Parts: sequence; structure tokens; C-alpha cells
Amino acid sequence: MGDADSFRMRMEGVRYRYPRAGSDALSGIDLEFEQGRMYAVLGRNGSGKSTLARCLNGLLVPTVGRVTVGGLDSADGASGLEIRRNVAMVFQNPDAQMIASSVEEEVAFGPENLGLEPALIRGRVDRAMDLVGIRELARRQPRKLSQGQKQLVAVAGALAMEPRFIVSDESTSMLDHDARERVLELFGRLRDDGLGIVHVTHFLEEALLADTVVILEDGVVADEGAPADVLSSPDEVRGLGLRPLEVTVVIRELATLGHRVPAGVLDIEELLSWLNA
Amino acid sequence: MAERLTLEEVSYSYPLPGREDLPALDGISLAVEPGEVLCVAGANGSGKSTLAQVCAGLLAPTAGSMGYGGEKIEGRRRLLSFRRKVGLLFQNAEDQLFADTVFEDVAFGPRNHGLKGEELETRVASAAGHAGIDLDELGGRSPFSLSEGEKRRVALAGVLALDPEVLVLDEPFIGLDFDNGERLKGVLGAYREERGASVVIVTHELADAWSLADRFVLLDGGRCAAVEEKSELVRGDIELAGLGMRLPQWGALARGLIRCGVAVADPSDPVVLARAMAERRRASDGR
Ligand SMILES: Nc1ncnc2c1ncn2[C@@H]1O[C@H](COP(=O)(O)OP(=O)(O)OP(=O)(O)O)[C@@H](O)[C@H]1O
Ligand SMILES: Nc1ncnc2c1ncn2[C@@H]1O[C@H](COP(=O)(O)OP(=O)(O)OP(=O)(O)O)[C@@H](O)[C@H]1O
Ligand SMILES: [Mg+2]
Ligand SMILES: [Mg+2]
Repeated sequence: MGDADSFRMRMEGVRYRYPRAGSDALSGIDLEFEQGRMYAVLGRNGSGKSTLARCLNGLLVPTVGRVTVGGLDSADGASGLEIRRNVAMVFQNPDAQMIASSVEEEVAFGPENLGLEPALIRGRVDRAMDLVGIRELARRQPRKLSQGQKQLVAVAGALAMEPRFIVSDESTSMLDHDARERVLELFGRLRDDGLGIVHVTHFLEEALLADTVVILEDGVVADEGAPADVLSSPDEVRGLGLRPLEVTVVIRELATLGHRVPAGVLDIEELLSWLNA
Repeated sequence: MAERLTLEEVSYSYPLPGREDLPALDGISLAVEPGEVLCVAGANGSGKSTLAQVCAGLLAPTAGSMGYGGEKIEGRRRLLSFRRKVGLLFQNAEDQLFADTVFEDVAFGPRNHGLKGEELETRVASAAGHAGIDLDELGGRSPFSLSEGEKRRVALAGVLALDPEVLVLDEPFIGLDFDNGERLKGVLGAYREERGASVVIVTHELADAWSLADRFVLLDGGRCAAVEEKSELVRGDIELAGLGMRLPQWGALARGLIRCGVAVADPSDPVVLARAMAERRRASDGR
């Protein structure tokens, strides 16, 4: 395994077509993901976000092109375990993931598959449950939790893997405000500590926290860049099927009324200070 | 036209094996008025999905009672007749999808209601259209082979195809992209107008129902913490942070403006908000 600097996930000319499907879900993707960075992946329903996520952790192998994780080709069956050890996945539908009979066993499932020592697993599981705030659910049956609670269990499961990358497929979609803040803060801290995060989301507010935004459209990358560059024009954002930031919509309305708000204003506080200036 | 749906002191507890029952709802009293859009909001685990299933007649309250159109919903016959008037969208689409094809999935409900032939086709096509499902493209696919957002919209089409007079939607906006979310808001508004239906939107995110809902029921640990209108929420009559929620961006901007002494007529309309701001700027520039 190379050192952290050289450990990357790479997609080269990736096409993916589901069995019996009439067209490609991904039709030519070239992307590179580094550790210590957070990537937000946005796009319409059906644009290929989950397919991209599943390619990154080796669950799907490209029909054309290749995905490498730390140099290992996902098409090489022998690298499967190593890829899953390094790339933890939080699936879009947490129900699909809940199989164990208690929450703590559920969170332990990943590390157990890595063949770690029980004592080591115990520590990781407790830490992960504390980080997402589900300690009091430890003995509950995962299938009998609320949907948001299940989603937190799935996040804890990925953390307990202590991977190099987390691929989070809309892992905050059902979380309430506090839980979402907690998970996003955690992602931020882990990123600063060197973890790579690929976060699929429909929320522009979340995409603003990323270092790089990737927008998919019909299986190709429609735009890629720093959040402020990609997301500040409400019309462009809308054209890509995304919800524009409310503040940018108001700013555009203000412009039609003859009031120009300085560029770079993206939140309410800033907008109000402009108003009162 | 819908009738008044009432819950009186309704509680619901889930049995937990080898442990005390888990009280998910505790003494909820509320009414869904005919033709209103009611939002039920709260943090994770506050009891929203449980309440949705109770409102749809799928979970029987462990205490308390329910009524529809002035009659108590009790006994098998009344319960079944009530259930036929309600459509419930489950939070997890996969709890709802089951057929081999998207078309059959959407057609299942209306078929059960006795529709066939052209009438059935029309009903299915219209429901699919409202949910943003292109039947030419997806009608023959297995619903389980779809993207999550597509699945959720097929499940939604299945519920709309029932043409219910009470529509209970558990987190209908999760996983939908912007255009589909906006379409759904339009569809729900029109459905309420044209059908006289009552719509209950269950959500953890006030923003989802902000422009649509007449009233907001705020749940906190299985209890009803408050029932508020938008203007009351903007004014800050209740501390949302304590309930694990925040005002939506539009609402927060409206609140900020009101605090600066700017009057806001509709805290969900960006044009209204922008005009209010423009007026304020003009006034202060003129000074
Ligand atoms: N099948 C079940 N068996 C036992 N307990 C359950 C079951 N379903 C939910 N609960 C518990 O009941 C409480 C309310 O759950 P509910 O699903 O109604 O919450 P919710 O408000 O919909 O949450 P979320 O926003 O996460 O969907 C939670 O504490 C949950 O753990
Ligand atoms: N198992 C499958 N079999 C066949 N086609 C599939 C399968 N899963 C997804 N697809 C199709 O591939 C395309 C991309 O799906 P994907 O799940 O990657 O989209 P997504 O961007 O994650 O969408 P969403 O926002 O709805 O989750 C869609 O057209 C979808 O219908
Ligand atoms: Mg997806
Ligand atoms: Mg729920």
C-alpha cells in the first residue's frame, strides 16, 4: 500500500450499463478522488450518482474503462476485500443495510468481516456509536428503528471500518437538523484528519462544505469545481436540475429590482448585513 | 371531498421483546380539517411515521380514539371503509413496491378498487404523470431496478392512483431532485383544490412543506409540542431548536427582515421577500 499521499480512487473512461438495460447509467467518467478532501456529488434522479458510488467501492465493476483504488483494479476479483477495507459505503436506503439483530452487532459487522480482534472491534464500535450519537440504541433491533435512526446506524457502521474513504450515498437525507450537523461536522473533522469523503446529496448547503463539487447529468460529469464557482448562479444550478440556494434566488430578484448585492454573498446573515449597511 | 379526521388522546406503543413497550405516541389530539394541508414535523424518532400509519388506519391506537366525518372509526367494517378513503405513502418506498413492473405496481390499487380497461389506463397514466414517471420509458421495468428517487416516485404514483380523499405522505420529498420536488408541490396543491382532499405531509424538514401547509403539528418525543401557523413559526413563538428543527431559509430570512423592522406579507415567497428588501434599501438610501 502506498502512503496516504498517493492513495487515490480513480475512474478512467468508466461506462456502466446494468444487465438488460437499454442504455448506460454511466457513460464516460474520468474522475480522481484524493484523501483529505471532501467531494459532493449532485445531480438529478437517475443521473448516475448511486451507480458511481457503487463503482467506487467495487460493488459494480465498469462495463468499459476502469476503477482503481490505491492502485488496485476493481475488476480484479482478488482485490475486492482490500477495496472494501479502504472504501466504506453508506447506502442510500439504510433498510437494505440492516441485517444484524442489534445495533451494536450491525455496527460491528464491517470490522468483523475484516477479521479484527474482538477487543479492537468493541472499541471501534463504541467510538462510532458515540460519534453519531446512537449509544442509547445499542441494544435495539435495527429493523425496528425509525428511518433516520437506521441511517445513523449505517453511518456508524462505515466509521467503524476506519477506512481511507467514505462513500456516503445521501447518508443525511433522513437526518434531522441536529443529527445532520453532527454527521457533517464529523465528516469535516475526518477530512481534516486525512480521510477522503465522497458525499452524494441533493442539498446545496451540504455541497458548500465540500472542497470539490461534481455534478452528474445523464451519466456524465456536467460540471466540476469549487462550490462557490459551481453553485452561485441560480440559473445554472437550476438548469442542472438542482435546487438553487434561497439566498441566490433573492439576490437575483433584487437585481431585477435594481439592487446589486456584492458577489460571494451566500448566506442569510451576509445578506442581512448588506441590507443594513 | 374529504371529511374531518380527528384523533383524541391517541397513544401508540411498540412491543419490544423482553423489555418494556416503547411509547412512540403519547396522548395526541388533533384534527385534519377537510381540504387542508397539514404538516407533521419533528426530529428523528419523534413519532412521525407512527402517526402517519395511525392516521391511515394501519396501526390501531393502543389508547385513545379516532373519528372520520363525525363517526368513530371503530369495528372492522368502519375501519375498512375508512382505509379505502386514505392513501399512505410509506417513508421507505420498498415497503410499498412489490409488482414485477412499474405499470402493474401503479395499477394495483385502482384495479383493487374495480377499475379496468381504459379507465384503469387513464388513472395509471395520470398518477404516473403527476409523480414524474414516464411510463413509456419505465412502465415495463422492475420497480426494484430503479434509482432510489425513481422508486419513491413510483410508490407515490401508486398512492395517487388510489385517488384518496385523505392523502398521508411520509417524507415524500426525500431523495427527490429539485424539479420533481417542485412538481410534487404543484400536484399536491392542485389535488387539494380540485379533489377537496386533505393532505398530511410528514417531514423532518419544515422547508419541504413551507409553501404548502396551512398548519404545522410539531412532535416532540411522541407528544404534540404545538400546532402553529407559518407566521407564528416565523415570529418564533416556539423554540424550534429544542425540537431538533430549524426555520427553513425563507422563514429565517423573513424573521431577519421582521427583526430589522421590515414587514413581510408571505414568508415563503422569494419575490415578496426581495421586494421587501428593495423597499428597505430605497428607504435607507433616501435618508
Ligand atoms: N417497528 C418498531 N418497533 C419498535 N419500535 C419502533 C418501531 N418503529 C419505530 N419505533 C420506535 O418508535 C419511535 C418513533 O418512531 P417513528 O418511526 O415514528 O419516528 P419518526 O419521527 O418517523 O422518525 P424518523 O424521522 O427517523 O423517520 C422511535 O423511538 C423508534 O425507535
Ligand atoms: N439495478 C438496476 N438495473 C437497471 N437499471 C438501473 C439499476 N439501478 C439503477 N438503474 C438505472 O440507472 C440510472 C442511474 O441510476 P442511479 O441509481 O445511479 O441514479 P441516481 O443518480 O443515484 O438517482 P437518485 O437520485 O434517484 O438516487 C437510472 O436510469 C436507473 O433507472
Ligand atoms: Mg441514488
Ligand atoms: Mg419516519
